[in-house]
This record gives sequence, C-alpha cells and structure tokens, in this order.
Amino acid sequence: MSHPMVEVRDLRVTFRSEEGPIYAVDGVDLDLAPGETLALLGESGCGKSVTMKSLMRLHPAHKTRIEGSIRIAGEDVLAMNAGALSRLRGKTVAMVFQEPMLAFDPVFTIGEQICEAVRRHEGCSGADARARALEMLERVQIPSARKRLDAYPHEMSGGMRQRAMIALALSCQPKVLLADEPTTALDATVQIQVLLLLKELQREMGMSMIFVTHDVGVAIEVADRTAVMYAGRVIEQGPIDSVMRAPWHPYTQGLLAATVHPGMDRRQALNAIPGSPPQLTRRIPECAFAPRCTLASASCHDPLPPARMDGDRLLRCIQPASAR
Amino acid sequence: MNTPTPSAPLLQVLDLKKHFPAGRDFFGRPRQWVRAVEGVSFDVHRGRTLGIVGESGCGKSTTARLLMHLIEPDEGRIRIRGQAFGHGVGRHPLTALRKHMQMVFQDSYASLNPRLTIEDSIAFGPQIHGVAANAARALARDLLDRVGLKPDVFIRRYPHELSGGQRQRVNIARALAIRPEIVILDEAVSALDKSVQAQVLNLLAELKREFDLTYLFISHDLNVVQYVSDEVMVMYLGQVVESGPVAELYSRPLHPYTRALLESVPAQTPGERRQHAVLEGDPPNPIAPPAGCRFHPRCPHAEPVCAQQVPALRRVTGQQVAACHRLQPDSGYSRVITFEELPA
Repeated sequence: MSHPMVEVRDLRVTFRSEEGPIYAVDGVDLDLAPGETLALLGESGCGKSVTMKSLMRLHPAHKTRIEGSIRIAGEDVLAMNAGALSRLRGKTVAMVFQEPMLAFDPVFTIGEQICEAVRRHEGCSGADARARALEMLERVQIPSARKRLDAYPHEMSGGMRQRAMIALALSCQPKVLLADEPTTALDATVQIQVLLLLKELQREMGMSMIFVTHDVGVAIEVADRTAVMYAGRVIEQGPIDSVMRAPWHPYTQGLLAATVHPGMDRRQALNAIPGSPPQLTRRIPECAFAPRCTLASASCHDPLPPARMDGDRLLRCIQPASAR
Repeated sequence: MNTPTPSAPLLQVLDLKKHFPAGRDFFGRPRQWVRAVEGVSFDVHRGRTLGIVGESGCGKSTTARLLMHLIEPDEGRIRIRGQAFGHGVGRHPLTALRKHMQMVFQDSYASLNPRLTIEDSIAFGPQIHGVAANAARALARDLLDRVGLKPDVFIRRYPHELSGGQRQRVNIARALAIRPEIVILDEAVSALDKSVQAQVLNLLAELKREFDLTYLFISHDLNVVQYVSDEVMVMYLGQVVESGPVAELYSRPLHPYTRALLESVPAQTPGERRQHAVLEGDPPNPIAPPAGCRFHPRCPHAEPVCAQQVPALRRVTGQQVAACHRLQPDSGYSRVITFEELPA
C-alpha cells in the first residue's frame, strides 16, 4: 500500500454525559489508501458515525475526549488549531450527511452555500465561485442546474437535496469524502442513482471515500474494503468480497445470517442474533460480543487482545480464523 | 353478502380514496389537493400476508390509516367477512372495526404513551372492549411473556426504559391484546437494526401461526417483503400498479415500475453490482400527478397513449394483475407484448 490517505490509530472517543462517561469508540485502527472506498459497517450505536465525525473533529470539544492518533493526508488532525481545522474541513476532507435537510442552512440558497465554501477555501471571486457551483450542480446531474442554484433546500426533493449536498461536499475537490449513511433516507430507486453517482465522481476526482452504512447491500455496492464495527471496536476488516463470502467474526456471521436475502425460504426462521448490543456506559475490556456469541468460551471474558492480521484480513476475536 | 362463502376474502377493500387539502386560499378553500390514495381495492384471505410496497408518497401508509379509520376515507368501503365496517355502520363503528383489525407502527416510541407503564399500555385496549381490569392485566402479563419480554422485569417499566426492539415487542403485544384477526404492520421492523429485526420477524411468524392472524405488511424493504408475504401489492402515487403471488411477482414482474423497483435493490455480492440506475429522477409529487398512467414520465416504454389514458388494473396471467397499457391488447399501445415475451 502506498502512503495512506487516512491513518487512524487506537482511536478512543469518550463523551461526558449527565449519567457519566460513554465509551463510544474504544481502540479503532483504520487505514484508507488513495482512491479507495472503505465501508464502515455496523448497527446503531456501534460507533461508526462517531468515528467519522472524529476524523473532522466535529464533536463538541467540551464534552468529548479523543485519544489516539488521526492523520489525514499526512497531517495530524488531533494536533490542529482552529485555523488548521477549518482549512482541513471542506478542503481536504468533506462530509455528506444522512439528512441533507438538516445539513443545509434553510435560509440560504443552494448556490450561496456552495459559493461560500468555494470562496472560503479557494479565495476566488464571487463570479468564479458561482461558476464553480453551477459546474458542481451539473456534475451531480441535477436537471436545470442554473435554476437550482437559486433554490432553497426546502424547494428540492430528497434525492435532489442529497445531490446538492454532494455538490457542496465536492466543491473544493477534497482528497477524502466521508459519507455518513447518505442514501438511508432515500427511496430505493433514488438510492441506487446516488450510489452510482458517488462512485462515478470518486473515480473521476480520484478521491478516497469512507462510507458509513448499516446496510450490507449498500456496502457491497460501493466498497473495496469493509470494516465491521461492534460496540465501539472494529471487529473484522478486509476486502468486501472476501468478508461477504466468508465472514470470520461470529458477529459478522450473525449479521449476514440475520439479514433477509432475496429468495430465502420463508418457512425457515431467520438466524437472529439473540440479545442486544451492550450499553457503552462502562469500558468493556473483554470481547463485547461474547454475551451474544454462540462460540464464546471462558477465555472470551478475559481482556480482548489486539487485532490479528491474516493476509489482507483483520480479525478481533480470540478464536483463530482457521477454526471457522 | 352477509353470509360469507368459504372462499370469500377475510378483508375486502373497495375503491378507497383520500385527497388531502394542500394550502388554503384567503377564504379557507383548499388551493390544491394531494391525491394520496386514488381508488385502491384489494382482497386479503384469512391466514395470508399481503405485502404492500412502494416508495415514499405512494400512499401505502395512508392506505393503512384509512383501513383503521385513523383518517376518514373520502370514498370506499371496507368489509370484513363480508360485513361492512366504518363510519355510519352500527352504534360504535370504530370499536367494532378495531376489534377485528389492529396496527403496529414504525416509530415504536411515538406509538406508546410515555406516561403509561407497559402493563397499562397493553391492558388499556381490552378494558375499552369490556374486559375487567384484573383480567386485562393478567392478559398483559401473558402477552408480554409471549412476545419474549419477562413480565416481572418489564411490566412496571415505561417506554423510555426499553430498547427499540423491546418497545416494538410491546407494540405487538398491545395490538394482539384485543385478539384481532387482522394486524397491519406499517414499517413495523424498518427502524430496527438487522439483528433485532430478524428476532421480531421470527416472532411475527410464530404469532401468526399461534393466533391464526392475517397480516398486511407494509414496507419499503423489498427483501423483507419477499420473505414474509404470500401476495404482494405494488403502489405508485396513490394507485395499485401491480399485485400477485410473491414468487411470480418477484420472478417476473409485469409493471415497468415493479421491475425498476426490484432492480434497484442493492446487490448481494460484489460481482452483481448494479452498473446503471433503472430510473432517473425522484418520484413525482402527488399534488399534481401526471395524467394518464402516473408512471409514464419515468417509464422507458411510454407511448402517447400512456399520457392520455389511465390504464386499468387487469389480470395478465394466473393471479397476477397489472395496470399497464403495454400488456393490454386493446389499449391502443403500439407494441403490446404478452406475458411470455416479458423477460424473467
């Protein structure tokens, strides 16, 4: 692998809350190569969105503790001051959120919001920024783009708003795009359009992308590699086809078995994973999945050793991969 | 029609219609109408599951609410076992209707009263229907146990103390407390994580057998609908465009919209990745739906006739019905095709 675009080491994110600390992310390592797409896959509360927001330091500083190291394009994100951070956001890393209606400012037009980002980062004139904004709206295939520049977010449909959000995110040609469930709120026929658009733009612009999703099918559509998260940790990582073909971690196996596939025999019950994910109000030194795991043995309740690499796959489980 | 024949459907829905006013002028008259549900008819037989699919704004949830009379239909009739239900029928039309039909909603939290304990929430319905308070509470305990929640642990809890999956189990228990024959599941598992969703789907299958239930399963998740349904009905902008037995509909969809919907489901393996999107653009607004076939502006096969005439829902083969000019020989469509010519 060439020099990684994103390098996360032992990331720990703890939130302060009225009920005490929440250990949302507990020792995450991630690497993202230039031009690569990584799907961060997991269920609600597993820490996937928290990890993403940490990459841009979007968490409120006064109630968040971030430990470990995050390097993006060679720069140490956790050491950055406010000025360096605002240069990073939008220019080096940009983010697309699940709900564009909340991510856009409702009182400014789409065009104004894209122009603001372009002028801020590129220091160009208003006319040049508007030309760039128009070009971006055309690239994300918004029909009658010139007219849409002067539209307010509420005047657009969900699919068009998400395209506009992508146009905004890509307007300063970031090296890394973080996409946090960008198609979850969209209808099926629109979701596939946006997924294909993202992939196409990524290829054209040579970006790296981290794509957060809970949907296995969406991960398969977009990703080169996947990292599966559970209770604040990455428990399995590897090329998407090999992880999907032969998942190693009992949680990944359970998640795939519990997902309804086309053509399943309906007389057969689904292989649901019993129980539910743990509360992260205490630090869990052992394997957090052990209470729900059918393969768990006594040693699974000892502190969890670091992840092991096996070829291009990574596994965080004391049972050896060869045992599967 | 008061004595049902053995083959009569349990639930018959006839020409259901609902238009909502959108914006009002100075005199309080509606400026426009959202044609949310436009003439929906279907039958469901006892013990079957009818899956209803479609994208947002297609009217599937409005249809569910109209059936329950949570919203008053403008037109249309509902018959259960051949007997009419709804407003104007009997002295307590809604009580009678809801004795037969209950509903589970998508938002498990919003559909429970935050000030009632789980026990009170479940026991409330039976008491309205004349069950004594003690018996209703006993029933609540039994049902909680049946949906996989230990009564001693959960009975005194409030909704906010439960996880999403647990709350949805409570909602299912509450729906069953009145011993309905029909349960409408409106995106009831959509908000749950996959591992929890599988548990609830298994539970729903068990309960269906045990209580001899008939389900209306409304969802945007085509994989889940395929797994749970016997029959499937596809809606687009307030109308039914296709319906039929699940295996036939999924293996050879008749309507171009059904086909597009099925081809938009993400791949199962990287080798099957989609290369292009079947449809362009978003579903149009139901405020001013396109004339003729409502799907024609997005349809790859549209001809002038599609913009002029509304296609009727007609039987194409076996139990499969579709509303598409392309499949109806006398429609005026130039290149009418037969079922056999449709690609599988």
